[in-house]
Amino acid sequence: MMITFHAIGMGVMVGLSVILDARLLGWFLEIPYSALQRFLGVAWLGFGINFLSGASLFTTQAPDYVVHVIFMVKMSLVVLGAITAAVLQNIVARESATWGQGAAPTNVKIIAWLSIIFWVPAIVTGRLAAYI
Amino acid sequence: MSMYNAVQDWMQTTWVHHVVLDYAWSWPTLETLHFIGLSGLIGALLVMDLRLIGFERVIPLRAVHALAPVAIVSFAINLITGLGFVIAVPRMYTGNWSFWAKMICIALAGLNFALYYIAIEPKLLKAGPAAPTPISAKAAGVTSLVLWFGALSFGRLLPYLGTGGG
Repeated sequence: MMITFHAIGMGVMVGLSVILDARLLGWFLEIPYSALQRFLGVAWLGFGINFLSGASLFTTQAPDYVVHVIFMVKMSLVVLGAITAAVLQNIVARESATWGQGAAPTNVKIIAWLSIIFWVPAIVTGRLAAYI
Repeated sequence: MSMYNAVQDWMQTTWVHHVVLDYAWSWPTLETLHFIGLSGLIGALLVMDLRLIGFERVIPLRAVHALAPVAIVSFAINLITGLGFVIAVPRMYTGNWSFWAKMICIALAGLNFALYYIAIEPKLLKAGPAAPTPISAKAAGVTSLVLWFGALSFGRLLPYLGTGGG
């Protein structure tokens, strides 16, 4: 059951984050970023689901997980991904009042790239941790 | 049922069957892609369906159509990788009720989309970009999310439910 919640939370958090990132990188410019970013609230809901379901899954096999290198890489990527989401939620959200209807400035695009670079490999390493 | 069995036997003679099973990396790679596709599909659907239901009306209704290609490409990734799993071990899936529950969810989601596209969307496009959406549109949005989260859940639970899973 927890494993299902974990897949749902992943789809919600990573799916919405990457769509926001793509918008910042210049895709779907017809969607105003200042409005789209409000979906970050839903994304955090997915993150919360995964924090709880992940903690629950962790407790079942904690000694195995803490010595698992791929798992620890995944957790690091998740923490970094969450930091980029927090930056989007706070700093970028405030700034977007000026450019939210159009293209994002370069420093914001860097945040968007970092977000993608953290979240997608977090999925890859999370999945591979089950095999390696 | 001989046709049904013949198709499953034939699947196991194809090159896809061998590529997926003969290399240690094939299955984990397909699964990882399946999870990435899942995320893209859920993300795009959440924005489109929640807007349809009536959230974030500051976004023009037409504008969220820009996310349709994300949903289509994500679904295509999952259709292809999913076919890879089924062709590799057909009976593991066809013998599992959770697999069929997932397929029914996807088929109904397709039907829901067809109904929306034919009967509901033309009316929406005549209304203003920020107009409240009618109850039929809200129902289509809720149905879509319920069915896709259902497909995701039955898929993820597949190895744990039914008897054919592994």
